[in-house]
Amino acid sequence: MASVGGGGGGANKMADKEKKKKESILDLSKYIDKTIRVKFQGGREASGVLKGFDPLLNLVLDGTIEYMRDPDDQYKLTEDTRQLGLVVCRGTSVVLICPQDGMEAIPNPFIQQQDG
Amino acid sequence: LVDKCTGSRIHIVMKSDKEILGTLLGFDDFVNTVLEDVTEFEITPEGRRITKLDQILLNGNNITMV
Repeated sequence: MASVGGGGGGANKMADKEKKKKESILDLSKYIDKTIRVKFQGGREASGVLKGFDPLLNLVLDGTIEYMRDPDDQYKLTEDTRQLGLVVCRGTSVVLICPQDGMEAIPNPFIQQQDG
Repeated sequence: LVDKCTGSRIHIVMKSDKEILGTLLGFDDFVNTVLEDVTEFEITPEGRRITKLDQILLNGNNITMV
């Protein structure tokens, strides 16, 4: 299967790292101190500056703004926002992380998922 | 980071539209938390629920934000 090349280099070095356990498929260190958008199970969304993270994908966000979806909202990102200061977001309920500016492509992480 | 908050008042947001304010007594690896002097809020109707004292154990499964 052809692998999709991402923007960054170092694709050969990633193959060695895949033998280790608990390797994240997404390197969050490049998002530190950047504003990101996070979506949660249950339909919540939040934006904030990423201050920290761990392998379980728990996130620490600063200056967090939380958005909620109304029944008639669908995806309006209403004015129903709240400012929370420093928050810890549970990795177990995170479904999407993306930079506030837009999306960027990453190399396909699912190529060698034979181990199950 | 959460470890630094033990003993402080914290505000926990669940996956559903429910929030819990209380004093953090402790937590475990799964982020099940023990809280004291707890007030429970429903976000949308903006009504405060029961104020529960003593202590509660909150299941970390449904916690979204702390």
